[in-house]
Amino acid sequence: MSNDDVMTRLTAIFRSVFGTDKLNLSRATTAKDVEGWDSLMHINLIVAIEREFRVRFTTREINGLENVGALIDVIGRKQNVTS
Amino acid sequence: MNNTYLPEYSELAKAGRDCDQHGLPSLRVALLSDAATQLLVPVLRELFRRAGFAAEIYEAPFAAIELEVFNPSSDLYAFRPDVVILLHSTQALRAAFFHHGAESDFVTEAGGRIVGIWDAIRSNTSALMIQSTYVRPYESLFGNYDLKHVPSWPNAVVEINGRIVSNARQQNNVLVIDVDGLASWVGRRSWFDERFWDLAKSFCAAEHLPILAKNLTDIVLAAQGRAVKCVVLDLDNTLWGGIVGDDGVDGIQISAHGDGESFHRFQSFVLGLKKRGILLCVCSKNEHAAAVKPFEEHPEMVLHKEDITIFMANWENKAENIKRIRESLEIGYDSILFLDDNPFERNSVRAILPDVIVPELPEDPADYVKALSELNLFETTSVSSEDSSRADLYRAEFGRRSAASAFSNFEEYLQSLNMTIEVARFEPSRLGRIVQLLQRSNQFNLTTHRYNERQCETMMQDSECMPLFGCLRDRFGDHGLISIIVGRLDASASTLEITDWLMSCRVLARGVEEYLMNYVVSQAAQLDLELVTGTYSPTAKNAMVKEFYQRFGFQKVQEKADGTTNWQLRVDGYAYRKTYIQPEIKVQVLVAGVH
Repeated sequence: MSNDDVMTRLTAIFRSVFGTDKLNLSRATTAKDVEGWDSLMHINLIVAIEREFRVRFTTREINGLENVGALIDVIGRKQNVTS
Repeated sequence: MNNTYLPEYSELAKAGRDCDQHGLPSLRVALLSDAATQLLVPVLRELFRRAGFAAEIYEAPFAAIELEVFNPSSDLYAFRPDVVILLHSTQALRAAFFHHGAESDFVTEAGGRIVGIWDAIRSNTSALMIQSTYVRPYESLFGNYDLKHVPSWPNAVVEINGRIVSNARQQNNVLVIDVDGLASWVGRRSWFDERFWDLAKSFCAAEHLPILAKNLTDIVLAAQGRAVKCVVLDLDNTLWGGIVGDDGVDGIQISAHGDGESFHRFQSFVLGLKKRGILLCVCSKNEHAAAVKPFEEHPEMVLHKEDITIFMANWENKAENIKRIRESLEIGYDSILFLDDNPFERNSVRAILPDVIVPELPEDPADYVKALSELNLFETTSVSSEDSSRADLYRAEFGRRSAASAFSNFEEYLQSLNMTIEVARFEPSRLGRIVQLLQRSNQFNLTTHRYNERQCETMMQDSECMPLFGCLRDRFGDHGLISIIVGRLDASASTLEITDWLMSCRVLARGVEEYLMNYVVSQAAQLDLELVTGTYSPTAKNAMVKEFYQRFGFQKVQEKADGTTNWQLRVDGYAYRKTYIQPEIKVQVLVAGVH
């Protein structure tokens, strides 16, 4: 799966979790850039992403992802391992 | 809400964050936990909304249970909760256990601390409490020997749960949510998500918050009076395998072994519901005669005819039958559960009666009981000794009506009732009921004399008087004393005068009055009397018996200005009526001194 595909699916998840169609992501997007992305919503995001991509993040990954780009890289790495 | 499907976490969490509770009755729910409950709150709010309640949820600060409950001026009590939910997490207890060591009495302390919390809450609010059990931990230091080793961590949790439950049994306002049971159902392996415990002290894995929230709302709703009171059951391929109309009684699958075992298990579960006080009704597209046969003849049926309160087997649509069941039982549609293997029937009932609870049934009957149990449809907050007899009381009352609709031929139905009547002179032990019936009976009452007990006693001692009562019984039960007839002998005029005739309307149209008229006339014949006379005195309510005597071939001999009519019958001209009632044999002394 290409990074673009991952980005498209991630955007859909973010929009669903935050309940807005206006949200757009880039690799540089961080929590500060998205209104309402607090620690609670972070868990909701992780739960939804794990479900969508059938991956499981480690505690450190959940806690330490810098931005959306890092998230995409982790998903890509895990999917390559599993597929 | 009859949608028994439970959505997944993300959907509920999102819906619950900004759900519209407008116009719904409010419910004040306080949530106290030694874990974080922020993820649970929206899920809980959304499930309450779907159940028709606007839940206002007070979330106590994290791990502040004691601070809140022991302080009479805490925000918790200022909130004035209707319900206080206490969620204790194994992970929070784990920290205490491993610090504490197993030396001192950890179990007693942990159990006592929870009772202390209940006591504090009770002295500050009358709110209902819902206490969680601890989920049995996964950490094992001794392998399978854990449970044999009293001080082990898993055993400590098992024992604390035992204390919670036994203490809760002593307290009516403390209900238990068996979180350990939920976790073992979904699997403790996934219940515990240590990542989210470490990061956010989450009570459990997010994916299991829906089932937790559902069980919490189920308990609260049961406390609010929501309950399944009646299960309406299909027959073919629901209660037994196969189609009885085609396969015959011997062809259906219901044996305790082999291919009938699923159905046998399902029937056993359903019988358990009946014993617990839930009424069972049948609604089947079938010929009645074929449908009842397995109940009457198949030796391996778990359910018997007398377990069924109302038996509807006909070719009308099921929603129509359920409407009638509801009217008879006088319960709400939302307390009726409809179980049918046929998706067409389920959907048609859902469409016409949206409040009836209609769960999907799994394709494989082997899973019926599991699917129903998972839906947690039978939540209750108490059990009473009357529960087990409720079904029998209802059945006696309503079985008759349903049987009537099931027989194509009314006479066939009457015959099937196996009615018997006891007719006897007034007797002291019956006077209470006799006077009551004299006072209450309005419609089927020819002269409406309200005799008191004293007057009845006088009649009993009067040898010229024939004060009779009738008691009716049928195969569904005992109706008790339902009719009173008072006759007066006038030997000089060779007449038996009926001064009073009244009957409870509950037993109309079964031939009771025909039987009793046969009886009265035959008594007159035995006494060699020539005439029977009677009077009808109109009231505002007794028009239904205006033509009573005419029905039996009496001649009208007088009609007064007030509408009172007098009637007369020649005993030898009476045509005895056909009835389906047998006499209940008793030694009878009808007219004192004459018999």
